[in-house]
Amino acid sequence: MWGLGILKGMAVTMRNAMRGPITVRYPDQRLPLPERARWAVSHRYDENGRPKCTACLICVKECPDHILSIAVSRTADGGKHIDSYRYELGACMMCGLCVEACPYDAIEMSHEYELASADQGDLVRELLHDVDAASPRRAASPAKEAADA
Amino acid sequence: MSPLLQALLRTLAAVALLLVNGVVLILMLRKVLARLHLRLGPTRVGPWGVLQTVADVFKLLTKEDFRPSGADKWLFRLAPVLVFVPSFMAYLPLALSDTWRFSDLDTGVLFVLAAGSLVPIGILMAGWGSNAKWSLLGGLRAAGQQIAYEIPLMLSVLGPVMFAGSLNVAAIVNAQRGVWLGVIPRWFVLPQLVGFVIFAIAGQAETSQTPFDMSEAESELITGFANEYSGMRFGFMFLAEFSNMFVVSALGVTLFFGGWLVPWADRNPLALALGPAVFMLKTYLGIAVMMWVRGTLPRVRVDQLLAFSWKTLIPVSLAWTVLSALVMRAVNL
Amino acid sequence: MSDIGRIGPSTGVVPTEGAHRIPVLPRGLRRAPSGIDEVATEHLIVNMGPQHPSTHGVLHILLELDGEVVVAAEASLGYLHRGIEKLVEHRRYHQIGTLLDRADYVSGLHSETALAMAVESLAGIEVPEKAQWIRSLVMEVNRITSHMLWLGTFGLDLGAMAPFLYTMREREALLDILEAITGSRMMFNYVRPGGVLADLPAGIGVALDTFLATFDGYMDEYDTLLGGNEIFVERVRGVGVIDATTATAFGMTGACLRAAGVDYDVRKAAPYAAYAHVEFEVPLGTVGDCWDRYAVRMEELRWAGRLIRQLLDGMPEGDHTAKVPKGLRPPAGESYAAVESPRGELGIHLVSDGSDRPYRMRLRSPAYFNLAVIDEALSGGLVADAVATLGSLDIVLGEIDR
Repeated sequence: MWGLGILKGMAVTMRNAMRGPITVRYPDQRLPLPERARWAVSHRYDENGRPKCTACLICVKECPDHILSIAVSRTADGGKHIDSYRYELGACMMCGLCVEACPYDAIEMSHEYELASADQGDLVRELLHDVDAASPRRAASPAKEAADA
Repeated sequence: MSPLLQALLRTLAAVALLLVNGVVLILMLRKVLARLHLRLGPTRVGPWGVLQTVADVFKLLTKEDFRPSGADKWLFRLAPVLVFVPSFMAYLPLALSDTWRFSDLDTGVLFVLAAGSLVPIGILMAGWGSNAKWSLLGGLRAAGQQIAYEIPLMLSVLGPVMFAGSLNVAAIVNAQRGVWLGVIPRWFVLPQLVGFVIFAIAGQAETSQTPFDMSEAESELITGFANEYSGMRFGFMFLAEFSNMFVVSALGVTLFFGGWLVPWADRNPLALALGPAVFMLKTYLGIAVMMWVRGTLPRVRVDQLLAFSWKTLIPVSLAWTVLSALVMRAVNL
Repeated sequence: MSDIGRIGPSTGVVPTEGAHRIPVLPRGLRRAPSGIDEVATEHLIVNMGPQHPSTHGVLHILLELDGEVVVAAEASLGYLHRGIEKLVEHRRYHQIGTLLDRADYVSGLHSETALAMAVESLAGIEVPEKAQWIRSLVMEVNRITSHMLWLGTFGLDLGAMAPFLYTMREREALLDILEAITGSRMMFNYVRPGGVLADLPAGIGVALDTFLATFDGYMDEYDTLLGGNEIFVERVRGVGVIDATTATAFGMTGACLRAAGVDYDVRKAAPYAAYAHVEFEVPLGTVGDCWDRYAVRMEELRWAGRLIRQLLDGMPEGDHTAKVPKGLRPPAGESYAAVESPRGELGIHLVSDGSDRPYRMRLRSPAYFNLAVIDEALSGGLVADAVATLGSLDIVLGEIDR
């Protein structure tokens, strides 16, 4: 009979109305992110609070969008000193290739996902500023090997 | 009280009801649709989002009143008025109870329908005056649709009118007092079931609700005739749509569901005192069903819409009117 | 086939007085029917898009209308052009996937797989069995998310609001699963030359089981809500007919082609990933109207659910990727690899000059070919039919404009 399908459809919407909402009130309630979720790039620090970055520049070369840049100078004892580690968040597409490429496990894709900003300046981040780079030998510490295993 | 002052106060009461209805219905639409669609709807403005529509009204009031450069100045300005005023006029003959009424028109039902049939003129003016192609298409669709569905709407109303023997809304409601066979309320929806179905379909079309929202047709004509309107001019058209919903539902309740009468207690003074509340409850239930349909169905195509009206709805309603007249004569209800 | 010159900026010549004195009507004008000789009526040319709710992005269609009847339609593309094919020439092979995710942004895993297959055949890389099965699994999951988006927007195009929001329920559930597998909801960057980025995380089987448990029931609901609805059927049956001849002539692929009854599915015609090891049917239509396209995709959705079950059950053990050097330098040569994306045959043609970056990459985007037919498909219908037909073609502008 013509119209029966319409009534059945109305029953479907009513059944769904009875099931209740599936959305959440976002800023008050948040859904958990899975482990592998990739959001803004951030640095990892060792147990002394020093960045694990060795300023090897592999991430800079690996980034498809060329949004990472590191200004490096030499310290008196011949080590590397990171004047600044710049990260253009606004142009980042969170592909994770820099993190995959990092041989020292010094950067990660964080779970920081509320990245919108009314200030354009916030979209360029200076992740590291005026710190000594880790020496590659120290970075290849037992902790790192344990993580690799 | 002088009759003039009295008339003025009654009119103001109708305006107040219309505005309150508009604000409440828009929130209700959002919440009903959200519920049907597994969403929450507005939640941020006020508790449970109740102030959302109030905020929207303020937004519309403060928006720039924009007129396209090629628009026909007077048609463009007049159109929202012509859409809004008839929908307001249609409130006047409605009766919330025996005593709560804006006017006592002996041709009340006719007046409501007559006011409703003015709306397409305003929509056509909006569509033409905007000087935009999408608006024009929307305006023309609206005109064709409203004319096509005006006729079955009027024919479907005839049944209850014949039963009651009056066009006065109060008389029609009062004719629905009592019970049949001791249990069934004497509501006209039972003997006039076919008439009610026609009324419901035509009413949904008359208020431009999905599946008959041809003139707006979000996914085809963007918003059709209201495309170029902004600010409160758009607000008036929007408000008119919701007040039309109320009018159609209220008319349906009056004609088919015993108006303000509480079934089996229609002579109880308490129930009669609660009349306006009962009437509003029934009307809002009717609107909720309209929204339910709106949230479920796809839109019909414009040619199918017209064919359905002219080839199915009108012949059926004509036949039904004749049939109910004959039966009424024979049984002498 | 079509007279493309029918519409264009020059057609809007409107005679202000005495139309009957013009011996030859300007383009866009025609004599009114039924012998009213003195009256010339004008065709209306409307711009549908690039900002229109039913063009699924930034498609711009010039519609020539006679009243509400579409006389001709011409798509104007390029609003979303980002030069992906050119950008690829400056990327190393493992970096290309990030761009292809953004070409067909609704089903990125399919384009990633096509690329990976093209690179593998260029460089002669053997892909482990497990990686092949994971690829198939994530692609089928991706197919459901893509078809769900299509189903919802198709309903929305026809004015039905409910299915859109219901399909988001399924889509979100699967996007969460894809995020758990790949790390991103839509810009996956997961399928790499040589295999996949990482093994399936623990608990994915349970999550997919939970999804599949309700999936068939919800599919029945959609069938009731749309396919069983008389208004919907009236709107789509016999509308936007693209017959087998036209479809093949325009190079259409995917559900749009199969709706016309042509049995062509890359998964069957040239099995890739794990599709040779699973059993599935390819649903076919008969007429090629909107209803057939709807029915074929609905059937594909159900089959995708069954495929996910088979792939989960048969998932082999082993490595998820072969050893591939980062600075991959395939020998000079060409390769072409195609997958059955939700829109049709998505092909990647790679030319290598022996360096670590491709010399040229060409993306055969199925929706581009499917869209080319709109003049044939839309002409003669009403505006509402145009919207329905366009919705049934399931276009993704990111892939068309590239």
